[in-house]
Amino acid sequence: MNATDWKGKLSAIRDSFSVSIAQKPAGDPEALELRFLGRKGELALLLRDLKDIPLEERKPLGALGNTAKQEMEAKLAELKGSAPAAASVAAPGLDLTLPGRPFPKGSLHPLTHVMNRLAEGFLKLGFSMSDGPLVEDDYHNFEALNFPQYHPARDMQDTFYVDAKDASDKFMLLRTHTSPVQIRSMERAEPPIRVFHTGRVFRSEAVDASHSFAFHQIEGLYVDKGVSMADLKWTADAFMKDLFGSGVKTRFNPSYFPFVEPGAEVDMSCVFCRTGERCPVCKGTGWLELMGAGMVHPNVLKGCKYDPAKWSGFAFGGGIERFAMLLYGISDMRMLYENDLRILKQVQ
Amino acid sequence: MKILYSWLSDFLENPPTPEDMAAKLNRIGLKVEGLHKTGASFSGVCVGQIMKIDKHPNADKLALVDVHDGQATMRVVCGAKNIAVGQKIPFAKVGALLSEGELKKAKIRGVDSEGMICSAGELGLEGYDNSGILVLSPDAQVGADAATLFPRADSVLEIEMLPNLGYCLSHYAIARELALFYGLKFKEAAVPAIESAGCAVPVEVKVPDLCLRYGAIVIKGVKGARTPEWMAARLRAMGSNPKGNLLIDGSNYVMYELGQPTHCFDIAKLSGPKIIVRRALPGEMLKTLDGQDLKLDPGMMVIADSSKPVALAGVMGGADSAVSDETDAILIESAKFKPSNVRLASKASGIKSESSYRFERGVDSELPVKAARRLAGLILEAAPGARVEQVTDNYPVKYQTPVIEVDPAKVNAILGTGLADGVIYSCLKAFQPDLKDSRPWKFSVPSYRLDIESVYDVAEEVARYSGYDVIPSVSNMPMRPSTVTPLWTVTTELRNTLAALGFSEAYNYDFVSAKELKACGVDEAAALEVKNPLSSDYQYLRPTLLPGLLKTLRYNLNRGRETALFFEAGTAYARKDAGKAEEVYCAGLAYGPIPEGGSWQGGSAPADFYVLKGVMNRLFAGRSGFRYEKPRKAPAYFQPGLCLEMKLGGGSAGHLGRLAPAVCAGADLKDNNLFYFEIPLSCLAVAGKTEFWQKIAKIKQVSAFPQNWRDLSLVLEEKHEWGELERAFSGVQDLASARLVDVYKGKNIPAGFRSLTIRFTFSSMAATLNDAEVGARMTAVLEKLTKNFGARLRA
Repeated sequence: MNATDWKGKLSAIRDSFSVSIAQKPAGDPEALELRFLGRKGELALLLRDLKDIPLEERKPLGALGNTAKQEMEAKLAELKGSAPAAASVAAPGLDLTLPGRPFPKGSLHPLTHVMNRLAEGFLKLGFSMSDGPLVEDDYHNFEALNFPQYHPARDMQDTFYVDAKDASDKFMLLRTHTSPVQIRSMERAEPPIRVFHTGRVFRSEAVDASHSFAFHQIEGLYVDKGVSMADLKWTADAFMKDLFGSGVKTRFNPSYFPFVEPGAEVDMSCVFCRTGERCPVCKGTGWLELMGAGMVHPNVLKGCKYDPAKWSGFAFGGGIERFAMLLYGISDMRMLYENDLRILKQVQ
Repeated sequence: MKILYSWLSDFLENPPTPEDMAAKLNRIGLKVEGLHKTGASFSGVCVGQIMKIDKHPNADKLALVDVHDGQATMRVVCGAKNIAVGQKIPFAKVGALLSEGELKKAKIRGVDSEGMICSAGELGLEGYDNSGILVLSPDAQVGADAATLFPRADSVLEIEMLPNLGYCLSHYAIARELALFYGLKFKEAAVPAIESAGCAVPVEVKVPDLCLRYGAIVIKGVKGARTPEWMAARLRAMGSNPKGNLLIDGSNYVMYELGQPTHCFDIAKLSGPKIIVRRALPGEMLKTLDGQDLKLDPGMMVIADSSKPVALAGVMGGADSAVSDETDAILIESAKFKPSNVRLASKASGIKSESSYRFERGVDSELPVKAARRLAGLILEAAPGARVEQVTDNYPVKYQTPVIEVDPAKVNAILGTGLADGVIYSCLKAFQPDLKDSRPWKFSVPSYRLDIESVYDVAEEVARYSGYDVIPSVSNMPMRPSTVTPLWTVTTELRNTLAALGFSEAYNYDFVSAKELKACGVDEAAALEVKNPLSSDYQYLRPTLLPGLLKTLRYNLNRGRETALFFEAGTAYARKDAGKAEEVYCAGLAYGPIPEGGSWQGGSAPADFYVLKGVMNRLFAGRSGFRYEKPRKAPAYFQPGLCLEMKLGGGSAGHLGRLAPAVCAGADLKDNNLFYFEIPLSCLAVAGKTEFWQKIAKIKQVSAFPQNWRDLSLVLEEKHEWGELERAFSGVQDLASARLVDVYKGKNIPAGFRSLTIRFTFSSMAATLNDAEVGARMTAVLEKLTKNFGARLRA
């Protein structure tokens, strides 16, 4: 078949359609549709013949065929007594409010979320991640951090011991804080050093709403020439603002940790206070105690073979659970270790 | 530690209000954790007696009560249920000052009330039953001021005592801090000048390195010395239980007041009588005041008489030499013992006392004799017939005050401040009024400040003195590149992928019980044991994350969950002799229908091995050298034959599989379709391999020509595994992929055989393959499969 023949056939079909549709009384629209436009209808078959016509001639013919098709469809629709309304074409019987196909999400643990975010805060300030073991020796957990053997400071941290001994024949212990990583970091590298560490720590304490025998801490250490407590304050302040917004204020209060001197507790202005009621989070004080901090004790520097006459540094850190409980509004720490899916799945 | 406001005020002229005091203490690092009122702060309340009770005409729950106040009878309206005729009660007349303010005349339901019968709460009294009116003792005298029946109004400050605050463990010491840091006027303690040259009880110190000072005062004729009420009231407010015997209560009182523990021995019970301070002899015993029979060892220092130990030095006195109401002659001991020795003895004996607490933290070397005199003075006041027969001060090596050279520039360098020299000087001068202003400043540390050792400690005092707010928030820290650890990088990647695939992250404790280990088929001998576990539930450190995840699974299934997809990233521990002591694992469980609850478009399918295998494929996607192998030996908790080992290069990357039926049985599940994986993260956290640029794979070019595909349905014996077939496809020309689309057994397939339908996709970089070319390649594939596996086309 050539182009001319094809055009002729198309013309014949159109004529035939016009005649049929003009009949009075009108013919059955469904039957007409099937005869002309159906999958094996006259027009469809003709369009299929196009494949035998050389490519360069095919295109205009196709357009003609399509135009004819649209005309016929419009006339048939008219005959059916309804103009094609957009909605009924788009959604014949499709209930768009049915639920979508489920792609159930899992979840990161709230502590992971918070730990990652706190780590990010340190990374932004130029602190590199450091690491250390959970089963520690007495030297790194206590001695090197200026907790002498028979010092009451050791009472601050009730310790679990494990059935394994270190090189000096003392029982190994589960680290009671992340601070041994300060020592390990300084042993590994020459100053200046700017590192942080986050991880699990252990205290032999009964579990209640605000205590756990396993919990998490994060802490940073910076040793360089001429580091002062003003640097510490700026860093702690920048860290808090990064987490809680530029509106928060930080303040220092005197405190004690054996491995720092002077020591400080870092308070942040309460971001949860609402006007007109006594804030249940800060108990109406306006401040939240969030971290411990201080200048690295010269004994600690000396123990790591850093000359305190030449180098000075600061350390600061806090409990991850405390941050998580504040941020997620959790009042019982045990909830974080129950792994209830109804809770976990809420964490975005 | 509890601190009474009134007691503190004994040592301060014009003391600030309790609230102001709390704020001031907080600012210098003495954290006030609680401030509450105690005692009677009301006025205008007398002891009344209930004479008659009538019903209120207009209210069922109210009564009209006639109260007699010693002079007149008044009618009041009362709503309490516990009233009874004859009771003595606190009766507030109009104008009385109560906790809520002044009592005004009131008309209650139409009846005038001429006063009020008070509850403990209305009187502002804490620690009394507040459910009704407060019923007074029948002995109370009608008409008397009710306030006299209760301790006087006071405030109690609860102060958190950090271990460095050994110098703050008394009222005297805290008043001294307030005076020093806030320039308040300090009033010295009332210590009488008691002297005596007598020597009724010789004192011999054999261990001057452990007993640094031994003060003793001997008093005779003390029998009947009773504790005055004001002292008993203070001790009660401190939470101590006064015995009424001044020799005991007075000792406690002086300790709370001055911070120096003292002890009274009954001289009649000392053999000799003599005091010897020495190390315990091996095998010696001591019955302590709390009734324990203590076995002593030479590490402990004891106070002994001429024949036996009579006290564990600094920790607790002995029962046999203790004072009683019959005691007439006493020796007051007031010493300074070496802190580490007291701590050692306290730990070894398991006895913690107020005394050992203070000695461990270090008492002031200048305090012992002063405290002994203070106690003697209190005893002499109460026992007029008493007389001092000996004052001993055994103090062979006088405490040398450390002198620290203070350069103000160094103080400023530590604090980052720009404090004027004068500010720093005035701080030091507050400590040491006679400090000379000649450089360098030679700062003598007060004898009570054992914690000040260097200029860093001095800097802290300067900051406390000026207020920590004086430290500015400025820094010119240089920029520094920051790095993360490989372990954190891979842990984060795995966590994120697992969470995206529907797994929820769990955090479990590191401690497990022997029972839990057994349930997982793990030998407890291989697990690291905790020497002092909180309970047998937490006796071992987990050698695998499985027990915790099983607990998590049970917890959630018990709460109506049907599906559990969990993972955890955490440390597992092994005995060191078993190789690596700690390894961080990422482990997970899959159980129940997936997706949970299905969908209206189609149901869900139970978790199976291939679910986890698919997850593992995602976790390891793009990691070269990743493959599965049948393990030679899998961990015991996997079901044999239903476990694969993952390999990365030459090393193991963990296991996945179905848990053994015995493990599932312990988990109390509906069925045993519980699947588990564990990946030791050290295999992924290889230094230098986790950096961003190294993880990026170069993009492979794709063909510009259309691809062709053919499906092939084969029947072959079941013994031939898909993995073997897959290997046979390598080398087929232009084969882009061979994907298994169906596995079928059953009708029309002979027993022992199965049908596999495989879709082969061909793609050439050079041209579009025509039918004949694809056909030729398919023929080659089929021939190979027929030859190697006896496969034939499915009819």
